[in-house]
Amino acid sequence: MSAAGHALGILGLTKRYGSFTAVDDVSLDVGQGEFLTLLGPSGSGKTTILMAVAGFVAPTAGSILLDGREITPLPPEKRNFGMVFQGYALFPHMSVAENVAFPLRVRGLSRADREAKVRAALDLVQLGAFAERLPKQLSGGQQQRVALARALVFEPNLLLLDEPLSALDKKLRAELQEELKALHRRVGRTFVNVTHDQEEALSLSDRIAILNHGRLIQAGAPGELYERPRTRFVADFLGKSNFIEGAVATADAAGFVLAAGTARIAVRAPAAPEGTRRLLSLRPEKIALLAGEEAADNVVEGRILAWSYLGSGFALRVETASLGELRATLPAWQAAFAPAEGLPVRLGWSAEAAVPVEEDAP
Amino acid sequence: MDGIHPPGPAARGLAWATALYLVLPILIVLPVALTDQRFLSLPQDGVSFRHFETVLTSPEWLGSIWQSFTIAVAATVLSVVAGTLCAIGCWRISRRATELVRVLMLLPLIIPSIVYAIGLYRYFGPLGLLDRFAGVVIAHGVTGIPYVVITVSTALAAFDPRLEQAARGMGASLSQTLRWVILPRIAPGIVSGAIFAFIHSWDELVMVLFIASRNVFTLPRRIWDGINENLDPAMAAVAVLLILFTTGLLMADRALRRRSEGG
Repeated sequence: MSAAGHALGILGLTKRYGSFTAVDDVSLDVGQGEFLTLLGPSGSGKTTILMAVAGFVAPTAGSILLDGREITPLPPEKRNFGMVFQGYALFPHMSVAENVAFPLRVRGLSRADREAKVRAALDLVQLGAFAERLPKQLSGGQQQRVALARALVFEPNLLLLDEPLSALDKKLRAELQEELKALHRRVGRTFVNVTHDQEEALSLSDRIAILNHGRLIQAGAPGELYERPRTRFVADFLGKSNFIEGAVATADAAGFVLAAGTARIAVRAPAAPEGTRRLLSLRPEKIALLAGEEAADNVVEGRILAWSYLGSGFALRVETASLGELRATLPAWQAAFAPAEGLPVRLGWSAEAAVPVEEDAP
Repeated sequence: MDGIHPPGPAARGLAWATALYLVLPILIVLPVALTDQRFLSLPQDGVSFRHFETVLTSPEWLGSIWQSFTIAVAATVLSVVAGTLCAIGCWRISRRATELVRVLMLLPLIIPSIVYAIGLYRYFGPLGLLDRFAGVVIAHGVTGIPYVVITVSTALAAFDPRLEQAARGMGASLSQTLRWVILPRIAPGIVSGAIFAFIHSWDELVMVLFIASRNVFTLPRRIWDGINENLDPAMAAVAVLLILFTTGLLMADRALRRRSEGG
């Protein structure tokens, strides 16, 4: 199972149901062996895109390319894509081994060939001892691994995953995330995953495509999306964010100063014309609690409105005089203080911390 | 079942009375079939199996039983094939138009069979199907379709459509998906429909009276004629055999359902 992955191209994909546009002109390239995640809230069109790639949904416009070859008109059974469905869709009347053998049986492989490949696939997901069980005799996590083995056993051109971990509890999900990542590295195939879980997307993917209302908002490596969100939606959906709106007061080569409320905020970013409106995204964990006379590029004063203990740290809601309410998270080691409601605090962040983002198109 | 009140004596009595009311007319044929008299009556001086002997040695009765059986088997095959395909087709397309098709398929159940029989008589004359084995098979087969459509549609409603997508995504053609995934999942529904279609043909009288006369003489027809001509207790013996056979089929259906629910 070391064949090279294939490259997938999605070109101007559009899907309309009557007057409702589920997918609106989405173009996206997935490289060989890449793990791409389509991330978005429900109704964002991510599953429709996956179903169009799989061949279950006929696009209204646009095309799907495999290694540059048009496959849009091919029915699903001719595409040779492995798929793990939400809820796994294992055949309940077949044993684990028969489930995994199904795609091989369909292809007319001999019994001996089938058995060897099924054993290899079950070993790959550490389920060799469960071959004769029925799906309902397995736990959720085991069923999920059978579905993976079944989707990989016929050496598909592409592996499609539709919310593969959503039915599992939180701890098992974290475990299977790591397994899935290791599996991807081992088989070296191209994976396309769909999820609404941003943590899953961040930890699994080589690249994430963020969708909303059927449109592709931004695609990129997880770190790039988190650090440099293009729009308010991306900053808000991927992690948490404070938003600060204002007008550019002064600008130079290094960045600009934004006048927001009564505050002046230094931002290191490409210069912007004076007087234009700008929106900043500021991650809560980039805000530090300043002690005594400690300085920072930007400093605001306020009082703690509410706080909660997270184990690894504290989450604070701070009412500032100049910027309204700000959310900040502090690592526990840094917070050598006892938070209390009404306690006066000084918050600070560097000029790189706040990132200009665009408002989303309605 | 804690916290549920047990039924009071009045409710219990009413329930038993209803059950007896339903079952008594069926049970009454048992002693009649065992009568030692030459006419339809209760046993007088002792029980006798002579009427069972008459039935099981008479070429007319055995001929009718065999004819009814072969007609019922052939009609069941027709109902099962047509009904299953119709149910799967409606399920796959699943638009509002298919709802209409499904209702249409139930018409033979709703329309009085005497009305249906008059229509068949008009049609079968020019087609040369009157008093022919094929004619009765077609009539029974078509009117048996609703039973199959109902049971198979019910089985399909519980079928996860993602299983079909999964099969096709793994490269299975439509016929492979049908054979290896859909049919095994809905087999209990098909068998159940087959049993009902069989029973429907097995005891159908009204249409047979219209479209058959001498060549095709089914078991219900022979019972009917026997009642009209002489009150031979052999009829009661046949009735007992029919009841045992039908009860056996229904128990098979129950056992099958229980197994498919358990497995």
